[in-house]
Amino acid sequence: MVLPPNVSEADFNAALNEFRSALGESWVFTSDEDVALYRDSYSIYWGEPEERVASAAVAPVKVEEVQQVVRTANKYRIPLYPISTGRNLTYGGSAPTMRGSVVVDLKRMNRILEVDEKRAFALVEPGVSYFDLYHYIRERSLKLMLDVPDPGWGSPVGNSLDHGAGYLTSHFRDHFGSHCGMEVVTPEGDLVRTGMGALPNSETWQEFRYGAGPYIDGIFTQSNFGIVTKMGFWLMPMPESYLTGTITVPRYQDFEPLIEEVSYFEDLSLIGMPQYGSPIGGGLFGPPSPDLAALMQNGWPSMDALENYVVAQKRPAWSVELNFYGPEETVRANWQAAKRRFAKAIPGAAFQDGELLALPIPKEKEATQGDKPRLGIPALEVFTITSRNPMTNSDPADGHADFFAYVPRKASAVWAAARVMYEAYREMGMPPMHGPFSTPINYYSRCFIMATLVPTYRNAAKNARSRELFAKVMDRCAEHGFGCYRTSPAFQDRLMSKYSFNNNALLRFHQKLKDSIDPNGIISPGRYGIWPAKMRGNRA
Amino acid sequence: MKFGAAGLAGALAAVHGPVLGAARADSPGLLHCAVFSARFRQGVAFAEELQRRHVVTFSAGHDIAKLWYGDLEGGMSQTGGLIAGLTDRVTLFCLEELARSAGMRVLYRVDHVIDKHGNVEHTAAGPASILEATRKLVPASGFGREMAVLASQFELREPKDTAALKQTGPFSPENKVALVSWVIA
Repeated sequence: MVLPPNVSEADFNAALNEFRSALGESWVFTSDEDVALYRDSYSIYWGEPEERVASAAVAPVKVEEVQQVVRTANKYRIPLYPISTGRNLTYGGSAPTMRGSVVVDLKRMNRILEVDEKRAFALVEPGVSYFDLYHYIRERSLKLMLDVPDPGWGSPVGNSLDHGAGYLTSHFRDHFGSHCGMEVVTPEGDLVRTGMGALPNSETWQEFRYGAGPYIDGIFTQSNFGIVTKMGFWLMPMPESYLTGTITVPRYQDFEPLIEEVSYFEDLSLIGMPQYGSPIGGGLFGPPSPDLAALMQNGWPSMDALENYVVAQKRPAWSVELNFYGPEETVRANWQAAKRRFAKAIPGAAFQDGELLALPIPKEKEATQGDKPRLGIPALEVFTITSRNPMTNSDPADGHADFFAYVPRKASAVWAAARVMYEAYREMGMPPMHGPFSTPINYYSRCFIMATLVPTYRNAAKNARSRELFAKVMDRCAEHGFGCYRTSPAFQDRLMSKYSFNNNALLRFHQKLKDSIDPNGIISPGRYGIWPAKMRGNRA
Repeated sequence: MKFGAAGLAGALAAVHGPVLGAARADSPGLLHCAVFSARFRQGVAFAEELQRRHVVTFSAGHDIAKLWYGDLEGGMSQTGGLIAGLTDRVTLFCLEELARSAGMRVLYRVDHVIDKHGNVEHTAAGPASILEATRKLVPASGFGREMAVLASQFELREPKDTAALKQTGPFSPENKVALVSWVIA
């Protein structure tokens, strides 16, 4: 058994006994085979001493039990690590940030407390998954659409607190941005409701997020200042229809006006998440084709060389799929407006009409429906798709550590970030995942993500190399101002060291909060670089 | 643990051996239901043998969510039984992650990696009886039925350990077929 750092076996056993008294014997997990279930399947330290493994796990069923666990943890200085469903793979999954922590598995707190169809909100506990909420809405034929991440096996609470995102219009796909009101067990065992939840008898907890006074909800994201036990979310009224349309543009440098026009529709909230691509090849990651690899023999090609390459390929340089939600009249009108604007802005732009779907999708057609997340339907199909992607080879990875760099919403920045990542891989002597036709993801509407997936293994030597690559990508991107917005526990200290303005003033402020809110440092020590004073050492 | 050549008769002897032999030869044992990959011949053979033993079988298609939330989750919580499978890695990977929330875990797994010439390498993790049975599998085709027999005769009194947990990710080698036989309970 792994012990929490600086905790004696006697104290740990005493704490476990108190946990058992509070939760019942069945819900305190200490055997090796039980605790091993919480290992991070994608750990980049798999099997090494630095692997973040738990010492035990507890599964409370109600808020009072969470409070009791927190009080006991304070008494014995036991580090806790709360998870909702614990399936945010590549970002740590169900494993703690610090080895030896006790995982607080909130899976039994899985009540859907309220779904108001007319006011379009839900109030849920952390153990509620997107699938649970989706099935609840579907079974009751409520006219509401969920914005779901992909894969959808996580929870709205956990995904939002980790700044996850989905696919619908911008104010829903920012999952934390679409939350309204939360309940938090503080590190000292108090219970706080934010916004209008603090006003007894208020009926607007899920409608007005700010209440009065400072707005504090944000400090509970990617942090260690409390255990969120309830959270409200705004839901999208079920649109009558869904229409897609694809635009292609002929030249390499057409990417800039393409982005500008897409952003116009994005910022008016007329479309869901645009899906950029390149018919020449590349797409999201864009390993160079043999032709392009030949062009890149002497380094990153010039703009003229890329334009000539596009002409020689006799295919459009770029594409984007737009998704419209709403009444049939408006989605058709918006697509027509898009065609007019893009044709005027980009000579040679071409358009392909997509299918118009009436919503909701009939239940009997759901199983075979493609692109489920864009229709608010949680899915796991991303696993079956990616398990056969080019990442796999004769010696396949076991997982991946994602590096999602946030870059400005403009073509020059996309190309710059792709080149930075390309050169980082080349420096490591590894085949690059990026090339001149790599395209961005637009989870958050006001900026782009350039994503790279670093493979992880059940092999220490290979993982050492992957860690080196990951660190290099992070370092190079930070030098260019491209910041990663979340990462696995293995890299959280390094990531936060990049956010270093004014002698790390942001991290120092986080630490001051930590020292004040959680003086014993029991909640998720080290999460996003926020260590309790007693563990800070030379990390600060 | 990886295993090489052995006779089919040996495999059958092992699965009917003293440790695993408590159930009748055509009994489903503790099995509640089973999952198979219909894309692969061995998956179909696995399912056919279990159907003969009156085990409910589900084809693991593209949509693992439908399999778990639609077919498996409700049934398992009602019976508390075992669920067995012969699937690709991605199906097991997702089911293993989902099973944790139901308090269930992988009790054994046998990886069958098949190269383009049809050669099979079996790698087992789990109780000694599984290792022994796998050691006697032939390194060629024909293991689907044997794995079905093994699953139907598996007993929960087998000691639990961590060897079979989270052995691989969801990815398969590009030029090989990677199948897995498993039991979750």
